[in-house]
Amino acid sequence: MGLLAFIDSYPGAYLVQSILHSALAGIIVEMALKTWGIRNPRIRQRFLLVVIVFPVFSFPLYQAINPGRMSLSFRMEALLDSSRWLSFHLWGIVPVGAVGLILVCGVTSLVFLFQELLPVVRHTLESRNAWPGPERRGAEDPEAKRVIDMFPGSRPELFVLDDEEAALFSTMGRSGAVYISKGLLRALPPEQVQAAVAHEYAHVQRGRRPVLLVLFLLRALLFFNPVTLLEFRRIVQEDEKICDDYAADLTGRPAALAEALKRLYLTEREEKAGRGKTIMEEMEALESYSHRLHIESRIERLQEGIPSSGKGEWFAAILAGIAVVLTNYYVV
Amino acid sequence: MMGRVYRFVAFAGGIALLVAALKLLNWLPLAAQKDLLKEYRDLEDAREAAGIETVFVPSYFPQNLSWPPSMIWAQGTPFPALLLEFGKPVGKETVLLISQAESESFFPGERIRFLEVKQSVPYSLKGREARLQVGVCPGGETCAGIAWKEGKYHIVVRAKTSPIELIRITESMLR
Repeated sequence: MGLLAFIDSYPGAYLVQSILHSALAGIIVEMALKTWGIRNPRIRQRFLLVVIVFPVFSFPLYQAINPGRMSLSFRMEALLDSSRWLSFHLWGIVPVGAVGLILVCGVTSLVFLFQELLPVVRHTLESRNAWPGPERRGAEDPEAKRVIDMFPGSRPELFVLDDEEAALFSTMGRSGAVYISKGLLRALPPEQVQAAVAHEYAHVQRGRRPVLLVLFLLRALLFFNPVTLLEFRRIVQEDEKICDDYAADLTGRPAALAEALKRLYLTEREEKAGRGKTIMEEMEALESYSHRLHIESRIERLQEGIPSSGKGEWFAAILAGIAVVLTNYYVV
Repeated sequence: MMGRVYRFVAFAGGIALLVAALKLLNWLPLAAQKDLLKEYRDLEDAREAAGIETVFVPSYFPQNLSWPPSMIWAQGTPFPALLLEFGKPVGKETVLLISQAESESFFPGERIRFLEVKQSVPYSLKGREARLQVGVCPGGETCAGIAWKEGKYHIVVRAKTSPIELIRITESMLR
């Protein structure tokens, strides 16, 4: 009864409805993307933002419009009344819906904590400290200078790390910069290094906009929401594709970036999930398999050619938006 | 142009399928568990589904009301509850609501909503401690409500009528 009473309360209803609203928004957005054949990552990302942002505000907004939306009468007329599933008792004893919901929210919260929040905090703290190894400006390094000189105009700062391991990353914020190791400069031909660095430049430039921080904060508000967890990852994946497009535009050589991705990420054959492993090892194997699939899809995209923006996206966006708002109103 | 129309129709069809799927999802728990909140035609069926032994119904009705109720809702899970709604013979306007539930949270007050409560006083209803409320409903009509505890049940009666008429109705529910 305590669990059901919580679910019946305002915070409980927010928890339940935000999950349902994001799931439904996710399905509608996916339908719109498929129907209009939208492949441009920049536009896809805007559509996916709806799935993250809308459920944060949908419940309080609907309640403000109609305070009687939680009432029995409204529930009886609703398209989907979550309380039916949450009150559903297996063998008349276990409220499976409510227990299942709490389990899913608990697992999602843990995944968010350990795979997103803590790594972000750790990365922020680490990036405040200087890189432990010696570094120098790209302009002072002859190999790096050759790469930088290929770019027109002014670009974010490039630092060269005195490390034989292949490493390439960027830091965010207003003074964001790209770091590349000596090992990587030697491992790849210059046009591939240039393409990879251009990709990181795109991350630095996108990271300067506060919109990403705001999006992460909104996403963090729904830390318990499994749909938000999955959709946020898709947004991050689309971000990689946006940066690929930027690099391909800047260098004019998408094939070089595809080749660099292959050499950096696909050379080592990853083990498939097999027997005799712990759950954590299985999870890691699954995650690295999913990462590999994502890299492969990026390579395929670069090799096929970057799709231009399709037609009727605004029409699709407006229709999808209306469908998301109207259907979710009747999901309580 | 044809592509645009085709896509619009495909998307609208997809939304229609989604709505149908939601309706199915909404119906499935009712099919699997019989005592979830739903509407009944017969009071006896509703009483059985809710697992309530004694249902408190009035024997007195004002002129504009009559038996049977225009709507009956009942549930056994998560707690037993029963709701009787009486409407005017003409039109769908609800004029009397009687709720009997094990939880205080069960009462669809929005079906006869107080716009303003003018008086809320304790009242002795055939020896029971009740709370009587008198107010105004949307449209300026006089509304009255009374609530008390009868054993393990919370009973709430609300009507678009004067408090005197309401007390007559509720007193006829009790022996």
